[in-house]
Amino acid sequence: MAGLKPGEINLGTTIMAVKFDGGVVVAADSRTSTGAYVANRVTDKLTKVNDRIYCCRSGSAADTQAVADIVSYHMDLYSSQHGERPTVKVAASLFQEICYQNKDNLSASIIVAGWDEQKGGSVFEIPRGGSLHQQEFAVGGSGSTYIYGFCDKTFRPGMNREECIEFVKNAVGLAITRDGHSGGVIRVAVITKDGVDREIVYGNALPPQYTG
Amino acid sequence: MEMNGSAIVAMVGKNCVAIATDKRLGQQALTVDMGFEKVFPVTDSMYIGLAGLATDVKTLRDRFRMRVNLYKHREERTIEPGTFANLVSHTLYERRFGPYFVEPVIAGLDKNQQPFICNMDLIGNINYAKDFVVCGTASDNLFGMCESLWEPDLGPEDLFEMVSQALLNAVDRDAMSGWGAVVHIITPDGTITRELKGRMD
Repeated sequence: MAGLKPGEINLGTTIMAVKFDGGVVVAADSRTSTGAYVANRVTDKLTKVNDRIYCCRSGSAADTQAVADIVSYHMDLYSSQHGERPTVKVAASLFQEICYQNKDNLSASIIVAGWDEQKGGSVFEIPRGGSLHQQEFAVGGSGSTYIYGFCDKTFRPGMNREECIEFVKNAVGLAITRDGHSGGVIRVAVITKDGVDREIVYGNALPPQYTG
Repeated sequence: MEMNGSAIVAMVGKNCVAIATDKRLGQQALTVDMGFEKVFPVTDSMYIGLAGLATDVKTLRDRFRMRVNLYKHREERTIEPGTFANLVSHTLYERRFGPYFVEPVIAGLDKNQQPFICNMDLIGNINYAKDFVVCGTASDNLFGMCESLWEPDLGPEDLFEMVSQALLNAVDRDAMSGWGAVVHIITPDGTITRELKGRMD
């Protein structure tokens, strides 16, 4: 596995995806840092792969953008050839193939989440190294380490859409407070059979938390 | 120097000076404390801000307090800003080959109520300025903000607004500083201290 090269832009990040009956909620912070400098404070780390599948990117900004572009191309090709949208599993497998085969040259940790006809909502995590893990919810990025405990305590299977949205806002908000490489706004996307609803949560609208 | 994170700025106004700092204490990316003090009163009309390694910030705060108190006993008067700056410089240069990892900023009014600001590198080189001084992990950002915002002869209220904007916007572009801010405005009539509400990310 490669690390970031000196000067390479880092998506030091908090990303998250949660499955509910009917779809998924994905969320991310909006900070891109080059070392300690905040290069972009309004980054969009939730990248469309197709109309019902998004990926959350963390690690190297360049690597993850490149991989997402390639997968997005393959998604279009699949739709043209098969006449139907690929499943989330297909998208995740494509991400895995690229991340695993190029593991020595990439620094990318990606969460793939979306909705398809077959399975409804699905969440897949592809950490550095290129393994594939299907989960009920996934957190990733440098800020995720601070919220594992909170997520384990708060998550229940069978939460509805609103509960999932509250869950991700709270979790990403907590990670932003503690992680220097996460910050800015919280971008949230809810993916269901009807489409994608995107939302921005600004700092002043965060759920209350202790900040000293 | 990038271990704990900090942002400190001092500016000169009309018969007043301002010194402002963020409140974050981090261990690289992890934020450990959001109320860490980095600016300390030296006398009634002088403050020192210490940016850099937190353990050295605390140690030097205590060492300067001792040396200023001893000065007061021997000289039977309070220390002037210019003299204190030399005291700080000397304390740092004593450790030339195993230095304290701090960069001090001093702001105060001398006995004639004239504004005084300066900052230093970690081994005590004093940089006197007539307008503003900056230090910490956000120093590059602070330079940009101060250079564009600063103008001479601002009164205490205007100076407060300006130094607050300079600090808040500078730390918003630095991952290692922020999480709250404190501003002290030192005037001949006393010091006004205000806490700023900033981004907690």
